[in-house]
Amino acid sequence: MATDEQGIAQARHEASSDDTPPRGRGTRVRRQRVRAAWLFLAPMLIVLTAVAGWPLVRTFWFSLTDASLSSLDGAQFIGFDNYLVFDDGWYGILADPLWWQSVWNTLYFTLVSVSLEAVLGVIVALVLNAHFRGRTLVRAAMLIPWAIPTVVSAKIWAWMLNDQFGIINHLLLTIGLIDAPLSWTADASLSMWAVIMVDVWKATPFVALLVLAALQMLPNDCYEAAKVDGIHPAKVFFRVTLPLITPALLVAVIFRALDALRVFDVIYVLTSNAASTMTMSIYARQQLVEFQDVGYGSAASTLLFMIIALVTVIYLYLGRRQLGGEQ
Amino acid sequence: MTASNVDQAPGRKSGAGGTALTLLAWLIGITMFFPILWVVLTALKTEQTAFSMTPTFIFSPTLESFRSALAQGSGYWHYALNSVITALGSTLVGLALAIPAAYAMAFYPSRRTDFTLVWMVSTKFIPAVGVLIPVFLVYRSLGLLDTRLGLTMLFTAMNLPIMVWMVYSYFRDIPVDIVEAASIDGASTTQTMFRVILPLALPGLASTGLLALILAWNESFWSLTMTDYHAATLAVYTASFKSGEGLFWARLSAASVLTIAPIVVLGWFAQRQMVRGLTFGAVK
Repeated sequence: MATDEQGIAQARHEASSDDTPPRGRGTRVRRQRVRAAWLFLAPMLIVLTAVAGWPLVRTFWFSLTDASLSSLDGAQFIGFDNYLVFDDGWYGILADPLWWQSVWNTLYFTLVSVSLEAVLGVIVALVLNAHFRGRTLVRAAMLIPWAIPTVVSAKIWAWMLNDQFGIINHLLLTIGLIDAPLSWTADASLSMWAVIMVDVWKATPFVALLVLAALQMLPNDCYEAAKVDGIHPAKVFFRVTLPLITPALLVAVIFRALDALRVFDVIYVLTSNAASTMTMSIYARQQLVEFQDVGYGSAASTLLFMIIALVTVIYLYLGRRQLGGEQ
Repeated sequence: MTASNVDQAPGRKSGAGGTALTLLAWLIGITMFFPILWVVLTALKTEQTAFSMTPTFIFSPTLESFRSALAQGSGYWHYALNSVITALGSTLVGLALAIPAAYAMAFYPSRRTDFTLVWMVSTKFIPAVGVLIPVFLVYRSLGLLDTRLGLTMLFTAMNLPIMVWMVYSYFRDIPVDIVEAASIDGASTTQTMFRVILPLALPGLASTGLLALILAWNESFWSLTMTDYHAATLAVYTASFKSGEGLFWARLSAASVLTIAPIVVLGWFAQRQMVRGLTFGAVK
């Protein structure tokens, strides 16, 4: 599938790129096309630059100043002091243990939740791909968690996880898994898992859908052949199905990982600013809004952006190498 | 055909394997759906029943919570209208921006196309918190705070990369020869786009629009930070039900149900489109 696509893309590129003019057509037409292309692209580029690019540059600039929410205009340039400075001991974000805990929490949250979502997503997709009674209904029910606002789903779960009146504790007590009600969102050792559980519940349908689409595009003859040869289903899955759905899975995982690294609302609603679940986004927001320290908060935001970019680059590099090796 | 992908012996489908599979599928479905069921049940309870120490499934339902969530003072319809306007508005503006951009990249690719795509997606690395203050400052000086226009613009920018990406992937499925043929026949670029390509890509555009609609409807960070009342959406409405030590859970549940109901109904009717939208856009 990937090879095909590349082939098409390449052919298309050769057919209409600037370097190889289509046969029998003059440069005038080509120039006209390039102008049209730019004209078509411009609105999108302008909007994205204005709403995403420019604020990012400003955030970086703020991170080099001592701006606070009350005195933005009187901000002084202080270089990289917000990041790290030696003044009778190390100060700045890079010397703040809470920042490092947020980094660790974010990476931990991302790794665990995205891994769980990938595994469960594949299982759910395999099940949904089979024929069973009520398939349409189950598939629709599966979609709902993904399709509702995070604030709402976080509130729903806060209610279900409530230590006194929550249904989760009640069910666990009834079947005897726990002896006393657990305070899911307040207990530091449980809250990260509570947050991960909610995220997995909400995002698994997304992964499952992407994988399901890939499954439905698989050629059937591989399976026929495997069946004729009497190969064990598990082996068929690992040798045939999994490699074929890997591209789709990689896309799902990168989308999810980008969201998970920036995670904010689900954690904010469930556990607020608690240190045990503080992520980089929560840390930055706390500095910016609650402590009104725009310079410091902006530095945290800049670091967060760089960490996400770095993780993505590494992931894409590894993903491309793996896919390349298979072709 | 698809069954054999999972169940390697389709002949056994109706046998023990089939039953086990059906059970598993339903178990998964019910687990995923349970929280929604629970919030609907809670919404139908009185506050006293909702707060019983032993949560119950059997009770006499009441619409009391819905009534108070919809009451005059709650402003539900005000928030709902804002949600509809901002979600629809951002979807339409987003499509208007994404279609030409994707068209240029799909049919007139150049050496810069890959770079543009990557740059576009890289704006998704930006944490919303990270650009909060600059956006807030610009909005304050332009008088866009707490306006529907301001919120619509933010939603548009938020969804634009994924919309361009999706439309681009639909356009790439259309053979480039069609564009060539149209231009040989004397059609202008705009004519080719509107008369030839858009009709061909219509299902894909519908899926993209639907996805953008859902994402905008569900957005909560910007609606909570950039609006107060005038442009506040249903996400703000739900969040405004302070749970505190868990007071008014039944009412909060009713509010939640009212917030998600329109999008769930829409998603239900457009399920096929939604699955298509999600998958084609990202997989291909």
